[in-house]
Amino acid sequence: MTSDAQFETTMSGPGVPVLRIRGEIDVASAPEFHASLSDLIGREPEIVIVDLGEISFIDSTGLGVLVGAQKQLRDAGGDLRLVVTQPQITRLLELTGLDEVFTILSNANDAVRT
Amino acid sequence: MTKAMSAPETVGSVGVNRVELSLAADAQMLFLARMTAAAVASRADFDLEQVEDLRLAIDELCVRLMNAGAGAARISLVFQWDASELDVLGTLVPEGGPTRNGHHASAVDSGISYELSERILDALVDGHGDDIVGGVHRAWLQMKRVGHLA
Repeated sequence: MTSDAQFETTMSGPGVPVLRIRGEIDVASAPEFHASLSDLIGREPEIVIVDLGEISFIDSTGLGVLVGAQKQLRDAGGDLRLVVTQPQITRLLELTGLDEVFTILSNANDAVRT
Repeated sequence: MTKAMSAPETVGSVGVNRVELSLAADAQMLFLARMTAAAVASRADFDLEQVEDLRLAIDELCVRLMNAGAGAARISLVFQWDASELDVLGTLVPEGGPTRNGHHASAVDSGISYELSERILDALVDGHGDDIVGGVHRAWLQMKRVGHLA
């Protein structure tokens, strides 16, 4: 059985990759999430957008992937931005203090403009 | 702040409101623990937000147990509740045989994830903890019903 998550990379604006995720980000899908994000960061973009608008679950393992990616990008002068549309995900980011770590916006276009 | 608590003595001892689940300590099986947690919380008349909170808390508890074990194992979960609260006791039960793949995301910084897991459990449940008794890893949590008058 494979993990219950799907990852799709698109572009939003010139040179801004968007990793769009559907499904559940947990300890089973985190390695694929990490690999997908590392692949994008390896292309050395200034901004990477992770669209969490269609995920139904994310745990500390998935959040840890995001934090690690943000650190990597910030060290290189870049930034990881999140698209979050679901109240429960917003609440989780607030509970963990990660709303202070990421720019959180309601859609990918806003994430590029900010 | 960690809401550390000792293992609930009542868990596993009495009560008809009790559900037990045994599953392989395998990342691919975790969704079953989350589904069961949501079903139990609904059955116990917790509100929707607490159902979601318990689903996430159980996931964190199981990941903690899985990361504690090096070889093949099963996770035993005992849910027990009454009118005011719900207790869950998780135990990592070692099994013979080879190590399972996919126990944890080795590519992920486990230090960051553990810290985040602590923050999540501190925020979502009213008490939690873990220990090792006789070489057996245990983890537990307690959630009180919102609005319940003691």
